[in-house]
Amino acid sequence: MCGIPMSSIKARAAQFAIDWLAGTYLVAMLHRILWAEVIMGVPIPFAWGGPESASLIEGVPDWLLYLTVGSVIAAFASVTKASLALVVQGKLPHSSWQRTVALHQGALLVSLTFITGWVVTKISLVDMFSGERLQAAGRIFSSMLQPECSILPQALNAIVETVYLAFMATVLAVPASFVLSFLSARNLMKSKFWTRAVYLSLRTLTNFTRSIEPLVWAVIFTVWVKVGPFPGMLALMVHTISSLTKQYSEQIEDIDPGPLEAIASTGARQLQIVWFGVVPQVFIPFLSFTIYRWDINVRMATVIGLVGGGGIGTMLNQYQMLAQWHEVGLIVLVIAGVVWVMDYVSARIREALV
Amino acid sequence: MTILEVRNLSKVYPNGTQALKSVTFSVEKGEFLAVIGLSGSGKSTLLRCINRLIEPTSGTILFEGQDVTHIKGEELRRYRQKIGMIFQQFNLIGRYSVLHNVLMGSLGSIRTIDSLLGRFPASLRQLALQNLEIVGIADKAHVRADSLSGGQQQRVAIARALMQEPLMLLADEPVASLDPATSHSVMRYLGYINREIGTTIICNLHFLSLVREYATRVIALKEGEVVFEGAPTDITEEWFRHIYGDEAVEVEIQ
Ligand SMILES: Nc1ncnc2c1ncn2[C@@H]1O[C@H](COP(=O)(O)OP(=O)(O)OP(=O)(O)O)[C@@H](O)[C@H]1O
Ligand SMILES: [Mg+2]
Repeated sequence: MCGIPMSSIKARAAQFAIDWLAGTYLVAMLHRILWAEVIMGVPIPFAWGGPESASLIEGVPDWLLYLTVGSVIAAFASVTKASLALVVQGKLPHSSWQRTVALHQGALLVSLTFITGWVVTKISLVDMFSGERLQAAGRIFSSMLQPECSILPQALNAIVETVYLAFMATVLAVPASFVLSFLSARNLMKSKFWTRAVYLSLRTLTNFTRSIEPLVWAVIFTVWVKVGPFPGMLALMVHTISSLTKQYSEQIEDIDPGPLEAIASTGARQLQIVWFGVVPQVFIPFLSFTIYRWDINVRMATVIGLVGGGGIGTMLNQYQMLAQWHEVGLIVLVIAGVVWVMDYVSARIREALV
Repeated sequence: MTILEVRNLSKVYPNGTQALKSVTFSVEKGEFLAVIGLSGSGKSTLLRCINRLIEPTSGTILFEGQDVTHIKGEELRRYRQKIGMIFQQFNLIGRYSVLHNVLMGSLGSIRTIDSLLGRFPASLRQLALQNLEIVGIADKAHVRADSLSGGQQQRVAIARALMQEPLMLLADEPVASLDPATSHSVMRYLGYINREIGTTIICNLHFLSLVREYATRVIALKEGEVVFEGAPTDITEEWFRHIYGDEAVEVEIQ
């Protein structure tokens, strides 16, 4: 009676949007990469504002043109049902011509993306395998294969710093993540308006902090608290808090609600309900995640030194700047050894836990 | 004397499912009331509304004459302490010992900090052992709960509920995942608690044979409405078809 249902309108709109995006992308890559760069050999800058002369139509920005053609493609797809979005959703019958057209469009999209990637990353076999380049490769490999062992004590000191840095970052992050994970578990927080508000803001915050890599955090903290292992530890800690909070809270969302309900029904207090209804179910997985995170943190701690975050990375950075490749070789060996041991030990502990 | 009175209770879930439609009934002290009905008829919803694990949409629940439909916080906790609940899936904490699980029933009566530190008074431990005695598995007090069989786990759950010294016990299909022999053994413990301790019991059941053997009164739900109320012996062939549909055939549980 009231016409097309809302959900169907939404689905159509989403489908149009996907086709539009795909169409625009296709046209843009065809013009900028395949035509201009590969065929004509005149690269146009990727983003806005290429040289005026490169515009396809005078006075009209290329991107506007792409969007227009893209919308025409989307409209065509919408009318004829030869739509990429529908194919992805598996909604087109197998032997229809629409499916064939859409599949070809998809194949073109994938190949264009690959070509674009190749062009953009400036992949060049000449740069890798010409005689001169191979000589350079030989130089660095042969130096590194003869590591300078006199700096071993210094390297061991540095790697100890790295391991402890990772350890402290993990240990200090665990209590914070533990508390935060309960507050950002959907199943525990969905009941009241204000708890849902806490849940949503925490989720947003941790998603944001997690999307910033520890290396970037390290840059921030080296400005804040000066260079050294401390800013490195802080950087790893921040990243660990957001990562562990996510992993922990997903584990909490996965629990069997039965025991929780049973304990609530005895008239227990909120804290008791969570402590006895949730914690026993997540304790072992939490432990396992934590150990794994320490393992990851040791790896990250080795590179965090490259931007001034202390430990073996800082040492590596110094010798690399001086082009002392024998010393670099030794440092790489020490890192590889310690990371391998950590990896092995953490895997064994986690195996024993389950 | 009436212990529980439910008036015009309705429940509409957020997704629009109307699980209960103006359900009205009352329960006398010491009764063993069975609730029957097809899967999806609203039995679990009814029990969960009574101890407010879910919020009723409308209607009134009176427990010992007190309106408990909208109580909150401390008051709701005190109310729940008076009502034990057991579940089809037992809902024990598998990693904890049997004794520790039984002690969970007394969480509401000790300080939070003591419970978090595992400091349960000796008197409660004693009571827990006594309750395990009642359900006949005191010898298993120190094994992990998940090492027990289903029937034994349900008896632990009963002991846990007994820790509340409840006036009323809600049982949501307590034997639905047990074999016939074990079902009877669990039902006998419920019967014993009902007769000897005087605990009022409301029990969702699937098998009419169990209803006839253990219940003193029955209500039947159909699509969220009470369609039958009476003694177990009053459920005739005709009523049976009305409650369960024409296709249904009664199965016996030995
Ligand atoms: N959390 C929920 N959200 C939405 N609908 C629900 C929810 N829980 C139950 N329902 C619906 O409410 C109705 C009654 O469910 P309820 O679990 O109370 O039935 P039941 O009689 O206990 O069935 P069963 O014998 O299968 O346990 C069903 O239609 C069910 O699908
Ligand atoms: Mg049910």
